[in-house]
Amino acid sequence: MELFLQTLLNGLLQSGIYALVASGLALAVGVVGIVNFAHGEFLMIGAFLAWALSTYLGVDPLISLPFAALAVFGVGALTYRVSIRHVLLAPELNQMLLTFGLGILLQNLALIWLGGNTRTVTTGYQGSSLSIGELSVGGPKAIAFGFAVLILGALYGVLYRTTLGRQMRAVAQNRRGSQLIGINVDRVYLIAFGVSCALAAIAGVLVAVLLFASPTVGLVFALKAFAIIVMAGLGNLTGVLWASVVLGVSEALVQTYVPGGGGWSDAVFFLLIFATLVYRSYRGAK
Amino acid sequence: MKKMLLTGVLLALSGAGAVKVGALLPLSGAGSVSGQAARNGYLLALEEINKAGGVLGRPLELEFADDGSSPAKAVPEFVKLVTVEKVDFMVGGVSSATSIAISGPAKQYNTFMAWIGAAAVPVEDAFADHKYFFHYHPWSYYNFEAILDYFKHLRVTKKARNIAIAYEDGPFGSAGIGDTVAAFKKAGFNVVMTEKFKTGSGNFGPIVSKAKAARPDIFYWVGYDTDALPLATEIKQQNLNVGLIYGTPPSWPVGFEKNRLADNVAGLSLWLPTSPNAQSRAFVNAYRKKFGNVTEEYFAPLAYVNLKTLAAAINKAGSTDKDKVAAALAATNTQTPFGPLTFTKSNKTRYQGFKAGSWLSFQYLGDDRAPVYPLKFAKKTTVWGK
Repeated sequence: MELFLQTLLNGLLQSGIYALVASGLALAVGVVGIVNFAHGEFLMIGAFLAWALSTYLGVDPLISLPFAALAVFGVGALTYRVSIRHVLLAPELNQMLLTFGLGILLQNLALIWLGGNTRTVTTGYQGSSLSIGELSVGGPKAIAFGFAVLILGALYGVLYRTTLGRQMRAVAQNRRGSQLIGINVDRVYLIAFGVSCALAAIAGVLVAVLLFASPTVGLVFALKAFAIIVMAGLGNLTGVLWASVVLGVSEALVQTYVPGGGGWSDAVFFLLIFATLVYRSYRGAK
Repeated sequence: MKKMLLTGVLLALSGAGAVKVGALLPLSGAGSVSGQAARNGYLLALEEINKAGGVLGRPLELEFADDGSSPAKAVPEFVKLVTVEKVDFMVGGVSSATSIAISGPAKQYNTFMAWIGAAAVPVEDAFADHKYFFHYHPWSYYNFEAILDYFKHLRVTKKARNIAIAYEDGPFGSAGIGDTVAAFKKAGFNVVMTEKFKTGSGNFGPIVSKAKAARPDIFYWVGYDTDALPLATEIKQQNLNVGLIYGTPPSWPVGFEKNRLADNVAGLSLWLPTSPNAQSRAFVNAYRKKFGNVTEEYFAPLAYVNLKTLAAAINKAGSTDKDKVAAALAATNTQTPFGPLTFTKSNKTRYQGFKAGSWLSFQYLGDDRAPVYPLKFAKKTTVWGK
């Protein structure tokens, strides 16, 4: 029973970091309507910023978090202005190729400037945990989960309670109609894409604390994020949290209870994508 | 100094083509710490070789290629070095997965390979019939022999009985895991957990929970440097009560020793900069002079020894003819930072360099890696966590 409860807890905590990465991707897909294959690389920039600020200036990653978010918002906005906006009306394949190429470019720039080494940050709370009876709750993962809930809550609030949020939803529903009623669609897209990248950076900072910073660190999480937004439904922000929990807990259960389960963890999310797509098609056909 | 400069200028102006050596290394990806360390070792050796007149009176030229720690990337890079760059010899090779991937083209092009890594037995199988394959790094069964010897010592001194094993699901971790478990059992240990994981995923929560339920004395993991910190973090967070955490990554994360979570984590190394032998001291001094620091990664001196011995063999052979160089390299008998190097048969390949006797176990104590076993090399006593 204790192992089962700890497994559920492990999955739940893991889902926090998944939700953080996926929420940004869901925003880009939902509002801007672009599948950003470079999302993992924006996470990587956040991880490296946390590492650099911690290593060279002694800044704690949690303190560097808003700076990293702001900086990567800027990078995202610039990326939108320079490249993304020009392909928004192009066929989807062109959009995907652009973001895919952007991801490779960012990854290789990181390789050239920073090398391929694994970089780690050291904090006093890295190994911290809270014990509940025999169960343990890891500090950084709990922080990541807390951030995920907070950020998704804030995003929900912005989308449904503010003018900018209403504009985002309007643009997501009908780009041309929004333009006709005077919404500056380009500005809304720029903000949404920038925020999406900033969310990836926040996840990156926490990944630097939990794991490491390296040019390829974003790939694993970006793949998981794609699985989550497919499960939640493209652009469905509110579904991201439960989809992340489903993925995190499923992985944990498979890893704990299936013999050799660690080798099956990648299969879990592919299976979930597969099952979700089949279910949606079946429901759509009815 | 003038003589060296003159030699360099003469070599450059000699008009004779350079002897080209291709170095396939993981300069990025999961094995990059080892790859970067090896690259520095090669650069140091290259500088010394060319300062001393190169090989066969010609400069030695080193062409690096990044295999990205990925078999899919390694194959085209290898083929490019052999067919486009037309290298005379190949060195490098850290990862087992990439080495298996290139075994086909290596045999197809009959490439001369002086290989520094790739410890997994499937690599030995793949190159068993290749007559130009010189393997410097010990095979995994030699590594395991050294580990088992240490664990037997812990069984006597610390009453260690139960071992939990976590291994990555690539050839490095998975190949021979059955034999590992059988050998532990034969040696009188209880293997209380055997679990796979995905390198780089960082998701160790369930594995550590299972280990906690299994109550091991030793937590033994086979993976890469990317796994070290997430695993140590999870073990600490879940308060796993264990005597020793023992890992066998080819290299460790940069700066890991400064993290308090690294305290008492143990591992295996072919070499440490504190090694007292004269060749090791000379290597450390030369490395510090060139790079301004000292590495603790054994792939740096291993690559250094690799290129130096290959260059010596080419000179001894008097040509770049593969058979002649192979005969000269096979006759190598030289002192290195790891101790003496000679090539003898392994279980399946013709030319095996270092074997079990070269390994030592260390523990992260303070900001350093302290040798703890074999006892004749030990500078500290093993810190036991239980």
